[in-house]
Amino acid sequence: MEYKLIKPEKIQDFVNALIANGKQVLAPKQKKDKVFFSLIRSFDEIAMDFIQTAFSAKSAVFPKCEELYSFEKNGKDTILNNPPAPQHDTVVFGMRPCDGAAFDYLATFFLKENPDYHFKMRYDKTILIGLTCPTGDEFCFCTSVGISPSDTRGSDLLLTKTENGYFVEIITEKGEKLVGQFSDFFEQTNTIDKTKYTANIQKRFDSSALKEKISGAFNWERWEETSLPCFGCGTCAFSCPTCTCFDIQDEANLVGGARYRIWDTCALGIFTKHASGHNPREKQSERWRNRILHKFLYTDEQFGTLSCVGCGRCIRNCPAELSIIEQVNAIMEG
Amino acid sequence: MDNMYLPYKMFIEKITEEAPLVRTYRLKFKNPADEEKFSFKAGQFGEYSIFGEGESTFCIASSPTRKGYIECTFRVAGRVTKALANCEEGDEIGFRGPYGNTFPIDDWKGKNLLFIAGGIGLPPLRCVIWNCLDLRENFRDFTILYGARSVQDLVYKHELEEWNNRPDVNLFTTVDPGGETPDWKGKVGFVPSILKEVSPSSHNTIAAVCGPPIMIKLTLPVLFELGFKEDNIFTTLENRMKCGIGKCGHCAVGPYYVCKDGPVITYKELKELPQEY
Repeated sequence: MEYKLIKPEKIQDFVNALIANGKQVLAPKQKKDKVFFSLIRSFDEIAMDFIQTAFSAKSAVFPKCEELYSFEKNGKDTILNNPPAPQHDTVVFGMRPCDGAAFDYLATFFLKENPDYHFKMRYDKTILIGLTCPTGDEFCFCTSVGISPSDTRGSDLLLTKTENGYFVEIITEKGEKLVGQFSDFFEQTNTIDKTKYTANIQKRFDSSALKEKISGAFNWERWEETSLPCFGCGTCAFSCPTCTCFDIQDEANLVGGARYRIWDTCALGIFTKHASGHNPREKQSERWRNRILHKFLYTDEQFGTLSCVGCGRCIRNCPAELSIIEQVNAIMEG
Repeated sequence: MDNMYLPYKMFIEKITEEAPLVRTYRLKFKNPADEEKFSFKAGQFGEYSIFGEGESTFCIASSPTRKGYIECTFRVAGRVTKALANCEEGDEIGFRGPYGNTFPIDDWKGKNLLFIAGGIGLPPLRCVIWNCLDLRENFRDFTILYGARSVQDLVYKHELEEWNNRPDVNLFTTVDPGGETPDWKGKVGFVPSILKEVSPSSHNTIAAVCGPPIMIKLTLPVLFELGFKEDNIFTTLENRMKCGIGKCGHCAVGPYYVCKDGPVITYKELKELPQEY
């Protein structure tokens, strides 16, 4: 791996140069008491001091609502058109390493089998710049799912703040290309020990012990009890950096329209409801169970990776104060 | 890379009214190049769409041995099927597919075949029934047991007559008690009890079952009583579905996706899955 350094006074210039170059920069921005990934026009808008953004930046590659194709009626015929491809590169700047790992999962999910045209079109134009966590909070649990707060997985570049500026790890070719293109802002440096600058995130559970326990957890008798507060709003899924489920809906008038995919979630009762009225997941506890088992068991079987990165958003955002950490520990207890 | 959500453009060549609210559409490709590159196998399904209304999932109900068209049979139930039902012959339909796995009919050569269907469960089996009938010399005894709530709910009435008249097919039709008409010549009773009565041999026999969940649930014990092995019993699953290609998440049963790992499944495989179908 190659390393560089961005001097403290150069970070601002680097980001502003990205914007001046025509790239769309999505970065953490303070809005009231929360931080959101927002399209920024200048480095000044960025909140560099934050624990975690309220939502992940996954909408850069998997928008909340996205056109699959459009159609125009032409008498008895219909003309179908691919959606327009993004014109600009998007740089996600300052995402936490757990989100980088989530992007890695998303790429596996969308591209490994039946590669997804829409995802690829955005992912290819997206550059991911991670930022090592110097601190965490009681909701962070990345280390419990095998990710470190300075993990390079999924990022193109990873920045770690040091006394001398930002230590840069060049992880992918995309990252290398970006550094090459903006070489004025990068200086030579030796590798460093990141530990000193990396948050110490306590392990909240042991994922290998969980692996053994969870394979037989479908018939666990405490699902109903542990999910009782859940009223199925789906906030956990919508703020989750790895949730990928979607619905497909049309919007049209007499002359044409488009088919869209829109985020959907297994937390909602209608998600599995058949036209006949039969619902394979009738109860909220069954939907909650599906969410937990999908994260910690099913994707492990499918792709050999958990689909929880320990970002803690589902816990911070849950209006019913449910905690995936507590849930997992309850399963471990039996 | 292709946009997998873009459908083929097809038109309705023929509409058949099968039963109350149940119709069969015969669809042909608008573009001859699409027709040429298209192929499918028995058991696969597709996404049928009305632009502006949405997509619906149905199996391909015609046999791959009948070239140049595909057929689907559907019951009017929701927004898209209502819009589909408003179509006339000549109207345009979008079709994505074929998706999913297939009935392993090559492995069935030299065996007896038993098809058991209830109500609107016959369309998914009709595809494989005709496929096997068109290769009839490859199989031994050929038995079809089909039941519906009432005489008017039976689908493919002309084909039932055709099968009934074939010396190389044993057809048993039945309607639920009270669903018969004065001139009904078939049996009266639920599918599981008629299966018991007919009692086909399980020796060297493959059974394919499709119908409402309650029918399947009560038919399986009868099949086991008759000595059928779990991996010789096939069914085809149905779950709410949107994308058809393993992405949208709707049809997932644990790590299994009905759309790409199914819909065809043996009982042996089915009993390993969480009961979420």
